[in-house]
Amino acid sequence: MKTATVLIVAIISQAIGNVYLTKAMKAVRAAGAGDDLMASALHAVGNPTLWLGTALLIVFFALYSAALSWADLSFVLPATAFGYVLNVAAGHYFLNESVTPARWAGSAIITLGVFLVSRSGARTIPRAELL
Amino acid sequence: MMTAAMIAIVVLGGSAGDVFITKGMKQIGEISTMHLGKLARVALKVLTNVNFLIGIFFMACSFFAFLAVLSWADLSFVLPATSLSFVITTIGAKFVLKEEISRVRLAGTALVCLGVALISLP
Repeated sequence: MKTATVLIVAIISQAIGNVYLTKAMKAVRAAGAGDDLMASALHAVGNPTLWLGTALLIVFFALYSAALSWADLSFVLPATAFGYVLNVAAGHYFLNESVTPARWAGSAIITLGVFLVSRSGARTIPRAELL
Repeated sequence: MMTAAMIAIVVLGGSAGDVFITKGMKQIGEISTMHLGKLARVALKVLTNVNFLIGIFFMACSFFAFLAVLSWADLSFVLPATSLSFVITTIGAKFVLKEEISRVRLAGTALVCLGVALISLP
């Protein structure tokens, strides 16, 4: 239950973080700095949406690492792959990206895979044998 | 050839990073406190754990190799190829971290790998 809660919050933070990052970077481009790398970087650093996105990705990584303090890597890694599905959905609904049939099919296959992994228990090595 | 070598660094670096980070986090032990002060102390322990830092280093190598390979190869080729990391990381988890990979978990991981490859196609 704890593992599920932590990982769900983690992947939601990641999906929202990626949406904000995309919005921020598109705004940087729209600001017309063009090919001037330095000007683009300055625009990016001054964009609060970019910081918000980055903060959410840090939240994701902290929660991901925390889950690894008690759960198997071979459980946590495929389980967080559900984030790909959220990212596709978020890109579709919030950023109006078009999603190809192959992407929806991939999302369905990932969902099935994550369901199977979640049936396999979060930890297989007893605490005494931990490194 | 160069592209294959770089993708190998992306995949192996990412997997090695995950394995070392897990090793470090297991040394820290289960985090179960919600107390802010205690969490800050745990964070300090994590950020000074050698295995965790080696893991971050590998992940950084993987990320920079990813950026480098994108400078000449198509994202639509590179991204599906990196879905291999699910398989490589699972092998690392089994042999380095001694995790038990049941059939159900293996099947689920294979599906995730396939699905991620499909999503990454253009």
